[in-house]
Amino acid sequence: MPETPADNWREVTQMSESIVDTVSHQTGETLLDVQDLKTYYEGGGLFGGDPVKAVDGVNFEIARGETFGLVGESGCGKTTLGRTLIQLETATSGTVSFDGTDITELSGGDLKQWRRNAQMVFQDPESSLNDRMTVGEIIREPLDVHEQGTARERREKVRTLLDEVGLMPEHYYRYPHQFSGGQRQRIGIARALALEPEFVVLDEPVSALDVSVQAQILNLLEELQEEFGLTYLFIAHDLSVVRHICDRVGVMYLGNLMEVGPTEQLFQNPENPYTRALLSAIPEPDPTAQADRITLPGSPPSPRDPPEGCPFATRCPVRIRPEDIDASDEVWDRIREFRDVIRERSRAEQSIGERLKERLGFETALADGDEIVDEEFSDVDLPPDVREHVEQAVTYLSDGDPDAARAYLKEAFGSRCDTETPQYYDVDDRRTSFCHRHATDHDAPGEELRRRGYDTHDG
Amino acid sequence: MMETELTDDIDQPLRDRLKAHPRPALLWAAGLCVLLLLEGPTYLDGLLGAIGAGLALLPGAPGAEAFASASAFFSELPHLLSRELVPNRGYYDGSAWQGTFLGLEPKYAWLIRFLLVYAYVAALLGWLWYGYVLFRRHYRAANWTPTDDVIDRLRSHYWGLFGLAVVVFFITMAAFAPVVGPTTAEENIEGPYSHDMKYYNEDTETVETITIGEANLGSASRGSGDSNVGIWSYDDFGRFHPVGTLVSGKDLFTFLAFGARVSLFIGLGSMAIAGFIATTLALVTAYYKGVTDLIVVLTSDSVQAMPALLLVILATVVFRNHWIAELYSGAMLFILLFALIRWPGLWRAVRGPALQVGEQEWVDAAKSYGQRPTVIMRKHMAPYILGYLLVYASLTLGGVIISVSALSFLGLGITAPTPEWGRAINIGQQYIASQSWHISLIPGILITLVVTGFNAFSDGIRDAIDPQSEGAEGGATGAAAGGGGG
Ligand code: SF4
Repeated sequence: MPETPADNWREVTQMSESIVDTVSHQTGETLLDVQDLKTYYEGGGLFGGDPVKAVDGVNFEIARGETFGLVGESGCGKTTLGRTLIQLETATSGTVSFDGTDITELSGGDLKQWRRNAQMVFQDPESSLNDRMTVGEIIREPLDVHEQGTARERREKVRTLLDEVGLMPEHYYRYPHQFSGGQRQRIGIARALALEPEFVVLDEPVSALDVSVQAQILNLLEELQEEFGLTYLFIAHDLSVVRHICDRVGVMYLGNLMEVGPTEQLFQNPENPYTRALLSAIPEPDPTAQADRITLPGSPPSPRDPPEGCPFATRCPVRIRPEDIDASDEVWDRIREFRDVIRERSRAEQSIGERLKERLGFETALADGDEIVDEEFSDVDLPPDVREHVEQAVTYLSDGDPDAARAYLKEAFGSRCDTETPQYYDVDDRRTSFCHRHATDHDAPGEELRRRGYDTHDG
Repeated sequence: MMETELTDDIDQPLRDRLKAHPRPALLWAAGLCVLLLLEGPTYLDGLLGAIGAGLALLPGAPGAEAFASASAFFSELPHLLSRELVPNRGYYDGSAWQGTFLGLEPKYAWLIRFLLVYAYVAALLGWLWYGYVLFRRHYRAANWTPTDDVIDRLRSHYWGLFGLAVVVFFITMAAFAPVVGPTTAEENIEGPYSHDMKYYNEDTETVETITIGEANLGSASRGSGDSNVGIWSYDDFGRFHPVGTLVSGKDLFTFLAFGARVSLFIGLGSMAIAGFIATTLALVTAYYKGVTDLIVVLTSDSVQAMPALLLVILATVVFRNHWIAELYSGAMLFILLFALIRWPGLWRAVRGPALQVGEQEWVDAAKSYGQRPTVIMRKHMAPYILGYLLVYASLTLGGVIISVSALSFLGLGITAPTPEWGRAINIGQQYIASQSWHISLIPGILITLVVTGFNAFSDGIRDAIDPQSEGAEGGATGAAAGGGGG
C-alpha cells in the first residue's frame, strides 16, 4: 500500500465533510459470536513446515445492525478472519455462531443454504468480476444458484438491484470492461446483496478506488445498511475510513485481536500498546506536537513462528522487563535488536538448504556471533550481568546452536510478555484489551509509555 | 436445469430481437440452406458413415449395416462437388475426349473441380462470417463483448491469417479428399487390379481396356530414362497427374490428399483428447491445489521422462495384432498414443493461466454464494484458459504430424496401402537427385507448410488473446518445430 500517512490524512479531512455520519442502529442483539477461532494454513505442501497461523485464537461478537471494523497492518490476518466468517476458509478450531448456529460445523446442503445469509464485497474491483459475463449475468448468478423465483423474476430483481446501487437497468447487457472502478465496485455490491443477506463482509471495499470515489461508495454502503438492516464486518487498513463508518473496532496483530471496543473510545483513548502504536502512525493535525511518535522497531514476526507469549512482545515499546536486571532504555533497545537477530538466525537455520550447506562445509551467509555483538553493543555501556548473558548466548551461537542461544536469551531477558499469553482485560465500558499491563501488578500501558518518553495520544 | 436458465438470459432478448427485425436473419438462413443443400448428401453420407463405423466397433455391431447402407444411399445422390458432376477421367478416341467434363482435357476438368471445391468452402466460411457480422449488428443484446477485441486483433494479424488460410486449405483437402484428387484412393491405390480403365493406344489407334494396376506399371516414376511422370503432366494412358506419380505409378496428388486425411485425423484427434485431459487437470489442480497438483505434476513428469519415440515404436510392435491397431490402418492407435504423450506439455502450458484465474476474486465470490465447483471451473475458469490451449495445441499438432510422418518414414507408421506423407518421402528418397524428385520433395514441402501454417495460426491467436505478449515469445515457433521429432 503505497499511500503515505500524509496523503492519508488529507483524504480523511476531505472525506469527513462528505460522508454522511449515520446514527448506529444496533439493537444490542448478538448476530455473530466468535469464540477462540483459529485458521491455520498448512504451508509448504507435502514437506510440512509450520502452518501459517493466520488467525490464532480470536474472540469477539458482532451485534445485529452494527458495523464492526477490523484494522491492522497487511498480513495480520484480518482478511483471513473475514473469509473464515463467511466460510470461504475452513476454521482450524473454535466456533463461529451465527444467530445461534455454529457455522463451522455446517456442510453440504446446509452450508449452501446458510451462505445466503452472509456475503462478501471484495477488495479489488478489477478481479472480483468475471470479465466474460455481462453485468446482468454476474448479479444474477447467486439467484440462479439458489433457484430463486422464475427467470423473469430474477431478471427483474437484477434490474432493481442495479437501480439500488446507483447503476442503470440498461447496464444489464454491458460487460465489466465498460465500467470504471467505482462502478465495478457497485456491481460487486449488487451481487453481494442479491440474496438479501443479513451479514456482509466488506474486504477493504474502497482501498483500490480513487479518493474522489471512495466517499460515494462508503455513502452507498451506509445507505444500503440502513435500508436493509445489514450487519457489516468492515476490513480496512485505512484508519480514517474505519473511524467514520464503524460502530466498533477490533485491532488485529499477528492473528490476534489486541483490542476491541467502540470506535470513538478506541480512537480517542487507545489502551493497548499496539493500538497506540498503530494510531500514532496517523500524523497529528497539529504539526507543533512535540512528543515522540511511537515508531515500531523491526517487522512483524513470521506467522509461521509467532512469539510464545504476547504476539506483540518482539516489538512492544512497553514490554514488561524482568525485575532482576537494571539497565537503561537504550540498553534494553539494543538487547531487543540483538534478540531479533538471534531469532532470525534460528529461523534461517530451520531451512533445510542452509542446514545441508553447513553440513557440507559451505560458508553460510550468516554473520559471526562476535560481529553481531560488536555491531549492537559497541557504543553502549553494558551492565556486567547483561554482558555476561550476551556472552553466554554468543557461546551457544559459536557452537552452531542458535536455537539454544535464542532460548537462553529468552530465559535471561524475558518476562511474562514472552512466556504467557495475555488475557482479555475489560478496560472500560464494552472495551477489552489483550495485554499483561492491565493486570493490577503492572503499570498501565499509557503510564509506562509516558515514562519511556513517548507521546501517548491521551490528550 | 441451471444451464437452460442461464442461456435463457441471452435467448429471451434474442428471440425478441429476431421477431422485431427478422429480414436479415431469414435471408441469411436461406443462403445457408442453399449452401448446405448443395452438398447435403456429402454431409449426410459422412455423418451416417461415421456413426456406422462407430457402431461397427461395438460387439455385435448393432445397426451398423443400416447406417452403412443409408450412408451409401446418400453418397449416390447428386450434389455439387462430385466426381460425377465434373468428371475428369476419360479417354481420347482419336479425335476428342470422351467422358470428361464438357469434353475438356482431363487437366482442365480436374482443375475446375479442384477450384470448385475451394470456391465452395470459401463461400461457406464467408457466409458464416457474414452471419456473425449480422448477429453482431442486429441481434446481439450487448453492443460490445470482450471477444470482439480478440477477433478484431486476429483480423489484422496477417501472419495469423496466413496460418488460418493454410490450415483451412489442408482441412479442405482432407475433408474433400475423394473429390479433389484426379482419381480415387480405392481405384488407384488400394485395389488397382480390380478396376478397369479405357485409354487410346496410339500405336494401334484404337481405344483399349486395361486394369488400372497394369496402367500404373506404365506410369511409374523411377528416375531413369523415360520412366517418369513429373509435375503437371499426362502419362501414356491419358491420365493427368497434377504432381506426378509415385514409384509404383500411382497418382501422387490422390495419395497426398488422402495422406492429409490421416495426418489431420491423427493430429486433431490426439490434440482433442490431450487438450481435454490437460484442461480438466489444469482446472482441477488450480481449483483444489495442494496434493492434487502434486500428483499431476509427478504424473506428467513421469510421462515426459519417457522417451516418446521409443514408446511409440514399442507400442506399435506390442499392439501389432490388436484390434486397436486395425482401426483406420493404425491411426486410432496413434491418436491414443500421441494424446498420452502430449497431454503433459499442454497441461504445463495452461497450468499457469489456470492457477492465475483460480486466484481471481470472482472465483471466491462464486464459492461464497455456493456455486458448485464444476460450474465454477467451467464458467469462471475455463474460458480464460481455452485460448492458451488453442495456441499450444496448434503448436503441438504440427509436431504430431511430423512425428507420424517420421514413423511412416521408418516404416512403423500407418500401414500400407493407406496413404501417409512420410511413406511417400521414404519411397522417393533414393530418387531425390533424379528427375523423379517430386516423390519426396512435394510431400516434404507440404509437411513444412502445414506445420508452419499451424504455428502461424497459433501465433495469431496468442497475440489476439494476449496483446502484451506480442513478439515476446519469438522463440516459440522454432521451439515447437524443433519439438516435433518426438
Ligand atoms: S503483553 Fe507485554 S508485550 Fe504484549 S502488549 Fe502488553 S506489554 Fe506489550
